Amino acid sequence: MAELTRYFSHQRRVRLLVFGTLLALLLLAQVALQLNVIEAATGVFAGWGWLVANFAPIASAFPALGEISWQLAATVLIAIAATMVAAGVALLLALAGARTTSHWPLAQALIRPFASIMRNIPFVAWALVLLFSFKQTPFTGFLALLLMSVGYLTRAFMETLDEVGHGVIEALEATGAGYWAIICQGVLPAAAAPLVSWLLYMIENNIRDATLVGMLTGTGVGFLFDLYFKSFRYPAAGLVVCAIILVTIAIELSATKLRQVLNA
Amino acid sequence: MLTVTALNKTYPNGKRGLIDVGFELQAGTVTAIIGPSGAGKTTLLRSLNRFITPESGTIELDGLELVGATRAALRQARRHIGMIFQDYNLIEPLSALENVLHGTLGDKRLLPGMMGLYTHAEKKRAMALLQEVGLAESATQPAKSLSGGQKQRVGIARALMQSPQVILCDEPIASLDPQSTATIMTLLAKLAKQKQLTIIINLHQVDLAREYADHIIGINAGRCVFDDATAALDDAALARIYAQEEAMVNG
Ligand SMILES: Nc1ncnc2c1ncn2[C@@H]1O[C@H](COP(=O)(O)OP(=O)(O)O)[C@@H](O)[C@H]1O
Ligand SMILES: [Mg+2]
Repeated sequence: MAELTRYFSHQRRVRLLVFGTLLALLLLAQVALQLNVIEAATGVFAGWGWLVANFAPIASAFPALGEISWQLAATVLIAIAATMVAAGVALLLALAGARTTSHWPLAQALIRPFASIMRNIPFVAWALVLLFSFKQTPFTGFLALLLMSVGYLTRAFMETLDEVGHGVIEALEATGAGYWAIICQGVLPAAAAPLVSWLLYMIENNIRDATLVGMLTGTGVGFLFDLYFKSFRYPAAGLVVCAIILVTIAIELSATKLRQVLNA
Repeated sequence: MLTVTALNKTYPNGKRGLIDVGFELQAGTVTAIIGPSGAGKTTLLRSLNRFITPESGTIELDGLELVGATRAALRQARRHIGMIFQDYNLIEPLSALENVLHGTLGDKRLLPGMMGLYTHAEKKRAMALLQEVGLAESATQPAKSLSGGQKQRVGIARALMQSPQVILCDEPIASLDPQSTATIMTLLAKLAKQKQLTIIINLHQVDLAREYADHIIGINAGRCVFDDATAALDDAALARIYAQEEAMVNG
């Protein structure tokens, strides 16, 4: 009886603690938010106002269009290349690290934390570090995106593979199939839709990030924006922004379309 | 012929899954393994293709011993042991036909296996097997679009594609409605006779075992307490097999 009472009072304390912590966090967020809401609203308004006034991509900017599309294409290609290479590496790491597909306990223990660390270092930090070794070249941006994407995709792929579950693997093991036949004919087809979905998400993200990395590494469309901006060619800089927005939306739309086709 | 002697399995936590289990099964027969939940039916069935490795005893299929087999020998042996599952375990996005063709993967070398390269003869046989289980018209449909009963028939065709001597079935109808249950059980019984297979089915419904099995093995608390023709399953035998369950119900 006394034990039961103790049990329930313990339960009550735990619940109070959890509830109290949540409430405190909520209040904190509230305070932070209220301060920011006004600032953010006015800031964004002012920003857009200034943008519309100064950056309107008027006719005088259009001669720059050729240069811009060139650099934009280069940036998009770097992002796609980095993502594809990262996906290949990440898939192998995920196969070695996922509970369902791994035969190596050591790899399982190492890959998860490794991927987390890689993923949690922002690509900007990667870019800054890599600038020392590779200077301001497109390769620096490529590598920065690659390293971050490997971490991110390894985590995502590993979870996807684990969700496929043991049933699929057992079914093919029962036929006497070997490891790689089981992976290629069983696990990957079963996981194809979510794997491709992650890949597309990563490509979208990397195209956005690539423009930013370009500013740091002095390459691609990011560099072009920087250049125009600093030489007061605001209409041309505005054109860059518009072009980036258009391409991002186009990529997003085609990715959505591709996902629909895959899931059908 | 499948011969099992003195099989013992103790789980790492000390739980004894199988205790001195032995029996002999003939080709062309359906054997039902029955017993209370937790008796060790799944442990026994999964030991037979060594998804679970018993620590002692022998399992002999056509002169090949499985308990002590090396990895390579085991893969070789598994090619002749089909398995069907309660949840079908198909590759859902692939077509019924591709799922059936997976039954050949055990025979393939590394690259053809990885790439799923099937011969024309294999494709024709897979189609014929789908026809045999009554699914010819669904061959190109993705497995995920099929009903439970249809999925299980694809699972059976995949096992048949291995040209197996033995087919292991762990509660193959537990997720199915009565009509699909009858279809699947009738199909399995027919295949055992027609193709001279040794089919072993874990069941928890005694009446299904009585209706479809030629032979019954009763398991209770890891021990084999009944091993005889279905006709010999009387009330006394049932009481022995389900002893623990009744003890629990009565208090
Ligand atoms: N991996 C495991 N670890 C420990 N105990 C297990 C494991 N698998 C099964 N058992 C135990 O072994 C006994 C037999 O299980 P199982 O073969 O699944 O029974 P059945 O299929 O007859 O219901 C049960 O008591 C179960 O709890
Ligand atoms: Mg079971």
